[in-house]
Amino acid sequence: MKQNFAWLAFAGTLALSGAGTATAADVTIDDLMNDQASTENVLTYGLGPRAQRFSPLDTLNKDNIKNLFPVWSFSFGGEKQRGQESQPLIHDGVMYVTGSYSRMWAIDIATGDELWQYDARLPEGILPCCDVVNRGAAILGDKVFFGTLDAKMVALDAKTGKVVWRKTIGDYKAGYSYTAAPLIVPTEAHGPIVVTGNSGGEFGIVGAVEARNPDTGDLVWSRPTIEGHMGTLNGEESTMTGTKNETWAGDLWQNGGGATWLGGTYDPDVKMLFFGTGNPAPWNSHLRPGDNKWTSSRIALDPETGEVAWGYQTTPHDGWDYDGVNEFIAFDMEKDGETIKAGATADRNGFFYVLDRTNGDFISGAPFVQDISWAEGIDENGRPIFVPENRPGNPAESADGKKGESIFAVPSFLGGKNWMPMAYSTKTDLFYIPSNEWGMDIWNEPITYKKGAAYLGAGFTIRPLFDDYIGSLKAMDPVTGKVKWEYRNQAPLWGGVLTTGGGLVFTGTPEGYLKAFDDETGEELWKFQTGTGIVSSPITWEQDGEQYVAIVTGWGGAVPLWGGEVAKVVSYLNQGGSVWVFKVPEQLASR
Amino acid sequence: MNNVAKYVAALSLLLTQTLFASSVLANDTGLPNDPFRSVMWKSIADRFFTDGPIVFDDRVRVIAPSHAEDQFHVPITVDASALNNVRQIVAVADLNPIPHILTVRPEQAMSFVGFRVKLQQSSPIHVGVQTEDGVWHIGGAYVDAAGGGCTAPAAMHGTENWMDTLGITRTIARRSVFDHARMTVKMRHPMDTGLAAGIPAFYMNELKISDTSGGLVAEVDLFEPVSENPTLTLLPKMLSAEATQLKVNARDTEGNVYGFMLDVPAAAQ
Repeated sequence: MKQNFAWLAFAGTLALSGAGTATAADVTIDDLMNDQASTENVLTYGLGPRAQRFSPLDTLNKDNIKNLFPVWSFSFGGEKQRGQESQPLIHDGVMYVTGSYSRMWAIDIATGDELWQYDARLPEGILPCCDVVNRGAAILGDKVFFGTLDAKMVALDAKTGKVVWRKTIGDYKAGYSYTAAPLIVPTEAHGPIVVTGNSGGEFGIVGAVEARNPDTGDLVWSRPTIEGHMGTLNGEESTMTGTKNETWAGDLWQNGGGATWLGGTYDPDVKMLFFGTGNPAPWNSHLRPGDNKWTSSRIALDPETGEVAWGYQTTPHDGWDYDGVNEFIAFDMEKDGETIKAGATADRNGFFYVLDRTNGDFISGAPFVQDISWAEGIDENGRPIFVPENRPGNPAESADGKKGESIFAVPSFLGGKNWMPMAYSTKTDLFYIPSNEWGMDIWNEPITYKKGAAYLGAGFTIRPLFDDYIGSLKAMDPVTGKVKWEYRNQAPLWGGVLTTGGGLVFTGTPEGYLKAFDDETGEELWKFQTGTGIVSSPITWEQDGEQYVAIVTGWGGAVPLWGGEVAKVVSYLNQGGSVWVFKVPEQLASR
Repeated sequence: MNNVAKYVAALSLLLTQTLFASSVLANDTGLPNDPFRSVMWKSIADRFFTDGPIVFDDRVRVIAPSHAEDQFHVPITVDASALNNVRQIVAVADLNPIPHILTVRPEQAMSFVGFRVKLQQSSPIHVGVQTEDGVWHIGGAYVDAAGGGCTAPAAMHGTENWMDTLGITRTIARRSVFDHARMTVKMRHPMDTGLAAGIPAFYMNELKISDTSGGLVAEVDLFEPVSENPTLTLLPKMLSAEATQLKVNARDTEGNVYGFMLDVPAAAQ
């Protein structure tokens, strides 16, 4: 029998495109922009594009908070736990919550029943620097979006959890990863865009902000954070960020860090995106003379083009890993009878900044932690007044050339405030900042760049400043720069804050408590032990006439990985992985 | 070059000897008796063979080894080419933790499919072939197998860069008769069931074959029990004796998309 054969060998992965079909329950871009006022849902990371983490809900108040009890708890299960830093989203009676190791669940809020689970299939060899966390999802139309530890963006069908599209943010083998919640904003030119940053500043990646089409995942624009790198718009090169070699001597800008690992915020009023940028790479600052723009900065971007509208550098020529990604929260500040379009940010470097959000002009900078050593203060131009002897010494000037002089700097590299988002109350006009009082011994070492390897050139160990506490929740008045009240916590605080129209401030502690405080006095009004440390951000919403509160629990994050002497107060804490939902039971609601 | 043919020939020596009972109702389930006496029969029939009468039909030939050499790769051939107007072919391993193996909709293809399956334990295999009149024609086989085929990690996870090889494909198309070709597609994929410790489900779940003018030849829905590096044989119908091409598109549960063209030789003279 004669047979004809044809053989073919082929390898390839092609791009996929999907198109959404709208139904009545679909989330619109207007819903997202209106999220802070609409109390029946939580559609954005930060309870609104400005991420003020303020809910006007006042059903739950200082008097009835004592009656707040759990409704259900949902376990993330699996054999992998680690840190849970996620903020859930709430839409149409369904909670969308992400977890460690790039997992997501949809849960029926009425019953606590799981609707679906998605587990990203992660490759071996991912390089997350600081735990395998995820901070949350975004929602638009009939899809939910989140980023995975192998630096991919995934769009899932909100009804089924099936993958609609998946796109690459960066090469995980070069140290790129992704942990932040995506941000969705409107544009005139492109319709809604999904905006993401990237992670990997400890591996010499190049920070960037990218915008994608939510239906297809196709890239709309990209904007590197480091001067000398080119951006793109509609598939073509657009403009260079800054001017090559202006603030970076030599060629270290090519692996300059500046990761945008905490994501960003948006202000619908001035139509700008605000992103914090991380530490320059390597940590050893003697290798990269100059201000190193735009590392350890806040940058404002035009969502239409990805062009930099303004930049403000909190730590020029950073030598302490004052990785300034911290969220920039737009708010309107009443001062001397005027309303100022302001924005505020509490930096890793220990200073609380108020800027003019329309142009980045410096308004004020005040310390929010004690005993800051690296700078005496912020001058009238917004530039830190450095303490030269508090910069780690140059290893090239040491006897053997291998280790520079060690110094004790405050705050530590984990920051006066780390990733955990603060809240701003439009009721009290105060910012509630989760902060930590600690310092570090730090010294520099020689280092050269190698793909996929840690790129630090520094050694360090963290020490608490005080015997009885590290964590400190502070109420900051942005007009005066004064702290109105403080709550002290033994373990470092690592969770976000929520404040409400009912006069409550919520945050969690590594010791396992979700706590509520009086927004005017800081008095602790309520607490609940969840059984494992809390390092995530609480939310609140209204469903069927009742006010709900939810928090994700599960100890982890960067503290147990990097904590030095701090480990003594956290080493006994156990891991977990759950979401807890609370409300006032019906029989107590009238009291 | 004739390895595939030899393998199939060898397999045919191992054909399970099964006698199909006539389709009489001899129980109180409303279903015909199952010749394989599967404890799962009612549950499988209620779940997979719905919306139509059910008959056991020896025109649905399910060719499988009586004893599996390897519980991770059990070769199964379903030949229902004696049936016309077939809407879909549904293959189920009754005692697998995830029973559904695959569904084929042979639009412009013979009612035939060859594949490999992972078996968690010895199990009846039921295949339902639904014709356009709604009737489910059932055939099957019983395969004795060592345990654990669905709960062990895929072999490719032993290598560090297995993800780089995803979707690497080998195909063969040949033609010994005028009216149809025989094509086999083998794609690199772990086909993770989600049941191995710490490894989430990740599998090729859609495969579509179309002709050069875009006409649908066949669609296959694949599920977790399909073996690692899924290997599928189908018999596309051919309208002319000339050489042509077929287009294969596949997608996995992570949204990775694979696509390629397959050369089909001219019919032998």
